[in-house]
Amino acid sequence: MTTSTALPPAPVPPVSPGQRSKKQVPHNVRTSRRAAWIFAPSLLVSFVFVYVFIGITVYISLSNWKIGTSPDLTLRQPFGGTYGEIIQEQRFQADIRNVVIFTIIFLVLAIFGGLIAALFIHHVSVGKGLFRTVFLLPYALSFIVTGVAWRWIFSPSTGVNEILRSIGIENPPGWTTDTTILGALNDPSGTDFLKVQFGIPVALLPIIFAAAWQLVGFAMAMYLAGLASIPEEHLEAASVDGANTWQRLRHIVLPQLWPSTITCFVLLLHVALKIFDLVVAMSGSGPGFVTDVPGIYIYNYLTSRYDKASAMAIILLLLTLAVIVPYLIRGYRKERKA
Amino acid sequence: MRASNKLRTSLAITAAASLIAVTGCSANQPAGSSTGGTDKLEITSWWTSGSEADALNVLIDGVKQSKAGLSVDNAAVSGGGGANARQALAARLQAGSPPDSWQLHPAGQLKSYVDGGQVADLTELWTQNDWASKLPKDVAEAQQVDGKYYTVPIGVHRGNVLWTNPAVLSKANVKINPTGTVDELIASLKQVQATGTTPVCLGDKDIFASAELLESIIMSRTGADNWKKLFTNEYSFDAPEVKQALEDYKTILSLSNKDHSAITWDEAVKKMANGTCAVSLMGDWAYGELLNAKKTPGTDFAWVTFPGKEDIFDYVGDGFSIPAKNIPHADAANAWLKTLMDPKIQTEFAAKKGSIPAVTNADISSLSEYQQEAAKSFASAKVVSSLAHGQVTTAEFAQTYADAVSTFNGSGNVAAFTASMTQAQKTQL
Repeated sequence: MTTSTALPPAPVPPVSPGQRSKKQVPHNVRTSRRAAWIFAPSLLVSFVFVYVFIGITVYISLSNWKIGTSPDLTLRQPFGGTYGEIIQEQRFQADIRNVVIFTIIFLVLAIFGGLIAALFIHHVSVGKGLFRTVFLLPYALSFIVTGVAWRWIFSPSTGVNEILRSIGIENPPGWTTDTTILGALNDPSGTDFLKVQFGIPVALLPIIFAAAWQLVGFAMAMYLAGLASIPEEHLEAASVDGANTWQRLRHIVLPQLWPSTITCFVLLLHVALKIFDLVVAMSGSGPGFVTDVPGIYIYNYLTSRYDKASAMAIILLLLTLAVIVPYLIRGYRKERKA
Repeated sequence: MRASNKLRTSLAITAAASLIAVTGCSANQPAGSSTGGTDKLEITSWWTSGSEADALNVLIDGVKQSKAGLSVDNAAVSGGGGANARQALAARLQAGSPPDSWQLHPAGQLKSYVDGGQVADLTELWTQNDWASKLPKDVAEAQQVDGKYYTVPIGVHRGNVLWTNPAVLSKANVKINPTGTVDELIASLKQVQATGTTPVCLGDKDIFASAELLESIIMSRTGADNWKKLFTNEYSFDAPEVKQALEDYKTILSLSNKDHSAITWDEAVKKMANGTCAVSLMGDWAYGELLNAKKTPGTDFAWVTFPGKEDIFDYVGDGFSIPAKNIPHADAANAWLKTLMDPKIQTEFAAKKGSIPAVTNADISSLSEYQQEAAKSFASAKVVSSLAHGQVTTAEFAQTYADAVSTFNGSGNVAAFTASMTQAQKTQL
């Protein structure tokens, strides 16, 4: 927490308003004590409602609270038995497979899409505002709204399949109802530990596409800001030295956009891991859980198994932390160096 | 001085924000609980659709008539087949501020509330009014846990009804015999397929629709007694009859619309009535839905009991319980339970809901042809409870079943299905 930057100006010896600048605010004990008081309520609230509740969820996931209506908070034997139980479930394994596939493809699509859209808008000479709005508009909508629209588009009997049929394709794809797993790595028997086929579930692709469509505008906005901050002289100098468009892009523009890419990556990553509403609206769990995600799992078990729902919530939290923490550590190290 | 003014402003904003947070929390308290008095009643349910809300209003008007000056707070929570309502209720029960009465399915779902010590023992009320004698034995038993009554039944739905499209069936020259076997049914469906029409409409976006279809086939193959034994662990999901039912289910699934996992049950029955396919299995709440969609019974759609070796009535019941502790308005809640058991009220309720009255002395002559048939069948058929609706056993087991069906829909792996269900029989019953 860098409280000093967010401090209101402390009472200082009277100065004329024009002279007031950041440098004149003394970072003394009095001001930081005041700052602590101001931030105390929000710190307390976030401590209770975030960290204490995470702790409670961890505890429930280790407890015997098996039925939603009657809390049984004794610890389950063997310790952590719920986790052992769920990792052997076909549904859980399918969820982890789905969320990993979803995250990877979604990030690639949204970030590349955003980059291309931003480069296009940055270099187009007319209608910049129009294009910006067109790309950014989906971001303003809620997932549940776009989910309903995309559900109709990819529904096996309407939408794109109507068009496919009209051009003579007899058996158009089932889209979100397809149970095929592309590039399946194993053949589960149902009694082994691995109960799910690892690979890319075809039914997930339309949903990933819809999610990327919605958030490509966000990535574009990030990249547009990044592009605007590249000094014009660098590009001019490169042109004078005889660099062509591709060389300028590769050696000047893309390296300077790296911070935007990192920001996009982190901010979109948690969208992918937490995805729930879009999937519910488009396909639900799907046959054989081909489109099930941890969010739906948690929701389904909230009235029948509190321990399982909590354990899945904790696993989801760990998944997020596994990617966010290295990023935070890297940022922290950089800050200390600076 | 400007700076300290700013400080004061930010402090004031922080204070206001925390005040809002605090009042926001207290606003979660149930409406009406603070005012007290005996002239109030709060009920929760998941009856929010058009016909359900109308039916609930029959009950509310009824209790108002029996207790003049009573104001009723209808705290219904919509969505998720009751999952949202049960969530909201669980939160209130844990906070110690329950409503005066809430809707639930009897038997298995009731048991979880009894185990949690959350529902009041109504045995005294039952014996005082001699309710057990006014109900069929199966219904009365479903309201008990360990010999004590905890809930009051308001209506009875049937889960295993095969809704048919007469025009499509006659075009294929097919007649479905309710006393025939599952094999005969499959043969008829294949005959429909030969005419180029999809035989079965299924909408299992919410998995209970295919869970109910599979449950009907299992019942037909195993018979009512073995179905009941599945939940006392005296009969195994590994039995050859269950495996045969799974193979049948796989066949019927292959005869269904390919987009079944993308549509809901009500879309599926409407497709059936529009002639997209020949049959659709669904509980008899579909009857209300079809009437609502302006379809005429007899011409647009007809019905048969799901074929099988004996006449089985797959019972899906609705009832109300009252809390064991912290009941805000006990008198009004008692009046409410008595109103529910009034035969006239049950008939009026059924007319809106599409169910049949639970009490045997209700006059059903004013109800529809389907409901009269269902009532007759309920009196004569073997009554079993639904697993797809979590009535026959615990919510945990029902969720395991729903997951197993979902998995089976994707893989068609009989061994995996029976493995996970026999495992659940060992650990969850």
